Amino acid sequence: MKEKTFESALKDLEVMIKDLESGTIPLEDAITKYTDAMNLVKFCQEKLDHATKQVSKILGENGEIKDFQTTDEEV
Amino acid sequence: MNEKYLSITEINQMIKMMFDNAPFLKKVYLKGEISNFKHHTSGHLYLTLKDDDSKISAIMFRSAAESLSFVPEDGMNVLVTGRISVYPNGGNYQIYIDKMEQDGLGNLYIEFEKLKQKLQKEGLFDPKYKKEIPKYPMKIGIVTAPTGAAIKDIISTIRRRFPICKTLLFPALVQGVSAKDDIAKKIRMAQDYDLDLLIVGRGGGSIEDLWAFNEEVVARAIFDSKIPVISAVGHEVDVTIADFVADKRAPTPTGAAEMAVPTIQEVKTILKTKELEISKLLERKLSESANTLKKLSSSYVLKNPLVLYETKIQKLDSIHENLRKSIDLFLENKKKSLEHLKSSYILQNPSSLYEKKIENFETLKILLHKNFESILVKKEHDLQFTIQTLKLVNPLSILEKGYSFVKKDGQFVTDSSKINVKDELEITFFKGNAKVEVKEIN
Repeated sequence: MKEKTFESALKDLEVMIKDLESGTIPLEDAITKYTDAMNLVKFCQEKLDHATKQVSKILGENGEIKDFQTTDEEV
Repeated sequence: MNEKYLSITEINQMIKMMFDNAPFLKKVYLKGEISNFKHHTSGHLYLTLKDDDSKISAIMFRSAAESLSFVPEDGMNVLVTGRISVYPNGGNYQIYIDKMEQDGLGNLYIEFEKLKQKLQKEGLFDPKYKKEIPKYPMKIGIVTAPTGAAIKDIISTIRRRFPICKTLLFPALVQGVSAKDDIAKKIRMAQDYDLDLLIVGRGGGSIEDLWAFNEEVVARAIFDSKIPVISAVGHEVDVTIADFVADKRAPTPTGAAEMAVPTIQEVKTILKTKELEISKLLERKLSESANTLKKLSSSYVLKNPLVLYETKIQKLDSIHENLRKSIDLFLENKKKSLEHLKSSYILQNPSSLYEKKIENFETLKILLHKNFESILVKKEHDLQFTIQTLKLVNPLSILEKGYSFVKKDGQFVTDSSKINVKDELEITFFKGNAKVEVKEIN
């Protein structure tokens, strides 16, 4: 299975909030949804916090991918 | 000294006449670049036309300038028609422009419009084909030149706003004859790199510099892209075919990067808001449930369990009452019936009962007698019939027809395998019987 993307995690969150907002779901489900939602929040938070600055890459002549620095950029 | 001195005005007039009389100066066609352009408040245009080595002053009167289809500016290459004459007051010759158009642009513009209409007809600009730009792309491909401001702007903007996003540059020639094919090729290559988004573009330049982005191969590569494409060509004012085909058009490369990614703070805030929202929603759900529970537990019935019985008691009472009434009624009716019976004729005249019975008895006696006789006759008849039937099924009556039966030791013999040679058998005929000895068995 493909790793959950940030985008889809946020989308899932939206859906869960809508469900919770509707107020029609049973209390047990609400609690499960809440737990799931909090896990998603944690997942997103971690993605945002723990990711280091990504180095830009460039596709080389022979199809190899190398680091790429634009001129006057700090190394 | 009899030399004749001419005034400046005179000489300039003479020179002007010379110019004006020269047929080839009456109508000249020039091409050059505009510089020192000045639009005078009078409406006349003053400018210098130049090429690499020379220049000539030029004026375009308001009447001629009004028919211009573009706004001239310094650096523009133009084609002009006009006459050359002298401005006596300044002592300089200049071209009086009748007509001016942009050099080369005319053709480019026609090409642009033709391609635009063709692709529009084919539906390449149709909004229904526009893909949604992902809100949080994690991997962005960039098709542009590896050097220059554009790539620098894009990368630095993405890093600043959303540093967790990966960027992969597909270096492409962005001007010159090979540019269109190279850009198209890189867009197609990018399809294999699992990208969320593709930025295709270049920094500002002349319309010729940007021309690759007006080419059909580039337009088709963008249209065929499975990855959403943001186009970012030149400056705000530059609109290319690529912009029409792209899923979104950015005014500049920096603008493209800003469209492509949110700022990380923004996302963190959104996330925080969502977290609060979810907690609040759950709290609300819990308190709602608690409230409902409270309301139910404080309901009148639960607080006053007796009311549950009260109605039942009342109901029981009323049923009881009804029951009593109906029993009374029942007894009353029975009593009435009894009274009625008591007063009936038969009870009052019991002898009438006997009289009637005796009469019936006599009639029955006669009837019985009659029936008995007819039964006797019938029984007699039945008996005779039975005797006949019995005669027919009597085994002796079969012997009478010539059949016999065989016994061995008093047992009927029905199977020759049960007897042996020399056995003594007894045969019974219709009349009499005989003892015989078995000779042979088949």
